[in-house]
Amino acid sequence: MAQKKRKKDLSFWERIYIVEIIKGMILTLKNMLRPKFTMEYPEVKFEPPASYRGRPVLVLEENGVERCVACGLCSRVCPALAIEVQASETNLEKERYPEKFEINMLRCIFCGFCEEVCPEEAIVMSKDYELVFTNRNDAIFGKDKLLIPVEQLRDRIEFLRKFK
Amino acid sequence: MPQITIDGKQIEFKPGQTIIQAARHAGIEIPHFCWHPELSVSGNCRVCLVEVEKMPKLVISCATFASEGMVVHTKSEKALEARNAVMEFILINHPLDCPICDEAGECKLQEYAYAHGKGESRFEEIKNRKEKRVQLGPYVKFDAERCISCSRCIRFSDEIAKANQLTFVKRGDRVTITTFPGESFDNPYSLNVVDICPVGALTNQDFRFKSRVWEMSHTESICIGCSRGCNIDTWVRNNQILRLTPRFNPEVNSYWMCDNGRLNTFKHVNSDTRIDGVYIRHNGALTKSDWDTAYKNVSTELRKYRSDEILFIGSPYATLEDNYVLKKLAAQFNSIPYFLTHIKPGDQDDILIREDKTPNSTGAELLGLKKLKDYEELLTLFKNGKVKAAYIVEDNPAALDEELKEQLSNLKLLVVHATNRNETSELAHYLFPAATYAEKHGSFVNFMGRLQRIKPAVETVELDRALDGMSMSRWDKFGTKFDRWKQGYKYDALPSWKILSRLINALNEKVRYNMAEEVFNEISNNVEAFKGIDYDSIGEMGVQIKYELV
Amino acid sequence: MTIWEIIITSVIKIAIALTSLLLSVAYMVYFERKISAWAQNRLGPNRVGYRGLLQPFADVFKLLFKEDIVPDAANKTLHTMAPFISLFVAFATYAVVPIGPEVNLFGYQIKLVVADVNIGILYVLALTSLGVYGITLAGWSSGSKYSLLGGIRSSAQMISYEVSIGFSIGGVLLMAGSLRPIDIVNAQYGGMWNAILQPIGFITFVVSAFAETNRLPFDLPEAEPELVGGYHTEYSSFKFAGFFLAEYANMIIASLLIVTLYLGGWQIPYVDKLGLSEGLTVVLQIASFLLKTAFMLFVFIWVRWSIPRFRYDQLMNLGWKVMFPLALLNIVWVAMLIMIFKL
Repeated sequence: MAQKKRKKDLSFWERIYIVEIIKGMILTLKNMLRPKFTMEYPEVKFEPPASYRGRPVLVLEENGVERCVACGLCSRVCPALAIEVQASETNLEKERYPEKFEINMLRCIFCGFCEEVCPEEAIVMSKDYELVFTNRNDAIFGKDKLLIPVEQLRDRIEFLRKFK
Repeated sequence: MPQITIDGKQIEFKPGQTIIQAARHAGIEIPHFCWHPELSVSGNCRVCLVEVEKMPKLVISCATFASEGMVVHTKSEKALEARNAVMEFILINHPLDCPICDEAGECKLQEYAYAHGKGESRFEEIKNRKEKRVQLGPYVKFDAERCISCSRCIRFSDEIAKANQLTFVKRGDRVTITTFPGESFDNPYSLNVVDICPVGALTNQDFRFKSRVWEMSHTESICIGCSRGCNIDTWVRNNQILRLTPRFNPEVNSYWMCDNGRLNTFKHVNSDTRIDGVYIRHNGALTKSDWDTAYKNVSTELRKYRSDEILFIGSPYATLEDNYVLKKLAAQFNSIPYFLTHIKPGDQDDILIREDKTPNSTGAELLGLKKLKDYEELLTLFKNGKVKAAYIVEDNPAALDEELKEQLSNLKLLVVHATNRNETSELAHYLFPAATYAEKHGSFVNFMGRLQRIKPAVETVELDRALDGMSMSRWDKFGTKFDRWKQGYKYDALPSWKILSRLINALNEKVRYNMAEEVFNEISNNVEAFKGIDYDSIGEMGVQIKYELV
Repeated sequence: MTIWEIIITSVIKIAIALTSLLLSVAYMVYFERKISAWAQNRLGPNRVGYRGLLQPFADVFKLLFKEDIVPDAANKTLHTMAPFISLFVAFATYAVVPIGPEVNLFGYQIKLVVADVNIGILYVLALTSLGVYGITLAGWSSGSKYSLLGGIRSSAQMISYEVSIGFSIGGVLLMAGSLRPIDIVNAQYGGMWNAILQPIGFITFVVSAFAETNRLPFDLPEAEPELVGGYHTEYSSFKFAGFFLAEYANMIIASLLIVTLYLGGWQIPYVDKLGLSEGLTVVLQIASFLLKTAFMLFVFIWVRWSIPRFRYDQLMNLGWKVMFPLALLNIVWVAMLIMIFKL
């Protein structure tokens, strides 16, 4: 940071202020002429990097079974209480599966704690940032909206294995 | 009294106590898996190893008697090292099942692994695989992999349930628990092993995977399955009771409760047959109405009958408060309420189960309600022909006998308080929805005269979890009406004493009770047996009352 | 010209002046947003119409469809009157600004000014002083402390800076020897622009004009972080649009005045020496006038997005201790010029 100048240290030209104003305005003018980086959203879509935390989703294995075992840790760790899980018994080897898995996207704050705490790598943050709903009930995402095939989530899972 | 030093603290102990008992008495917790205060010592988990000065080796505190002048270190370097080693050893073959294990959250192994474990495993080989879903009995499922072979369940079935049904088989890392050939683990106390199992090896078939323990709130209450009145915790999530667990009370039930009480006494609270709101018979069918109309109509109808034409029937299922206010209502008509006993002769043992299947028959008798030994006595009351009206609180006489049902259906006026639809409620002209034992404050007197309290765990329309000081889980605290996990149904029901006192008000007699406690205070002022007792002095463990029954 | 011809030409002039002013006000808002976006490396409005050119209309419709809220504590009459005073003042000032020389159209000699008043500059000064009323009344009648503070600040500010404006103009009047705007423009013939002859006066006038129009860096009457919206905090819908339009109209008037008084109006130095036809010269002159105005408007916006707001005491210091003495100095300077060079 530049040293703060006291009033008594200012030179005559700085004191009359006009020159400094013109300097400042030239700076603004330069910025006006610089190229713009704005993405025009609905036409151009942002493709987030793997580290991006979009809406949380559940991993659907290739055999069509969700990884989630409904341990409820995500629900417990969620600081916004967005996740509700109801477990039930299954005949599969994993014994337990989520009969109901609901994320209230109005409560979700995209902190990624659920992903961090998940012992099964079953809930991950996707790259999906387009979340629009028109009533409270639409904002509650059930298993139908949450389950995403594992291939689509490879990026994130690899990222997690590397950095988590 | 002799003294022992544990962790530099001078502690007095009774001769014959082991180190772990002496320490526990003084509030020092020594980790343990296989030791249980009510079971014999087996000493096989080795996690309670402590260092005792002048002893060459570490000793297990559960099997070493304390003696005068002993100096014990539970947290010395040597003891901690040994404890860590034991933990590592136990964890070698324990699967990483916590995410799917129901015990997670109340698991001793989890807690100790967190407190004393190394946090990582040096074990590189493949863990033992054993059968994960063994049906030991009708209610208990066994996961052999998770078992740490502490033998608590075996000792329980031998020593407490006196059933001798479980045993270890095989040796070494192949050891597992099973029932004796041809036997099923089906004694009436079998589910207690789920509570005492320090890991999640034994699970409750009824509660399996229903909820994580940290999602529920728990409320101290009393089991209504029989006149023992076992102390219980009621576990509630989203306004639904999910399980009951016994609560330690050395005077009543120790650490235990029976399977029947655990499984069958709470289902009716959230059942489909619950009565929601007031019903009045209209053109032969019960139709929903509102409270004020019901109070008004019932009070005018009751006035039409003379004292010998009305029968008031209290209930040993209802609390002292309910029966007391019923007695007050009956006094308006110069009558005294009766109550029916429900005894299953022979269904009794020396452990907990009593043949009197109601929680409060002693209490009802102490209040001065007239006891009817069985339904035939009630039938004779009807048969004399004078009775034209009856007021039945929280009982179901119509289910006992066809002829009695016939008599009840012939009545000109039948007012019923019931929690659920039953044979009697279907005959009622006026049907009031009574709050269940899990939805109200109240008190019961068990067969040996112990006065104990129930507390509301489930909300009704008139109750508010936060404002009425009911126990709350994290979900209850932070939920809003828009959260699906907070939308559990609330029934429109009132405790019987409240319905009755409002009815008395409708009869132009002033009674003003806002809380069950006020009713109880009046009882303790008026009834000799309850003199000087209030809700505070009953507390969580109850009090023994002195009484003499005629 | 007969009386009817005068009436008809006046009506036509008023119509043209009003529509062009309204349109340019609307597009000022658009350019303000565009330029601010560019200065911040953004794109600015580009959704409504081609490159967002219909944005001003969208804005206006949005404002019109909003609910008109009058606070309970407000003085209803004055609260309604205030925006109209502001608007009226802004538009009325426009009448005396000439945008070009006399032209010969359809056989008539027409002056390109709505009203060629011989005390035009006095008229401008009088009306801008009236403008204070709009804002002060808005602030007082809203019955809100923010509005009141904004109103008080603005009246203090405008009165202070009017002094410097008056003295700055004094120099120009000395030069031209007339209060008629057309005479002032004509006096700057041949590159003898007042901006060059009296730079100090030019600077004081421009700075005071900024203050007079309540633009940044002198927008203390509506300093958002301190005063919410300032004098128009309690205004919504059409009345708010009134203030909004008045602010931008004032800006345009200020630019027009600066061009007229200091930048030679429609004058292009030595254009008559090129030997162009009279018609083309007039067109060029009008174009030059509009271009100069457009540049001044750009400067207005440019300054707004470059310079932070002054503190209130700094503003007052600047007005009374710097601008006022400088404007006086300027008059002395001009007087000396006239004495020495016999201009």
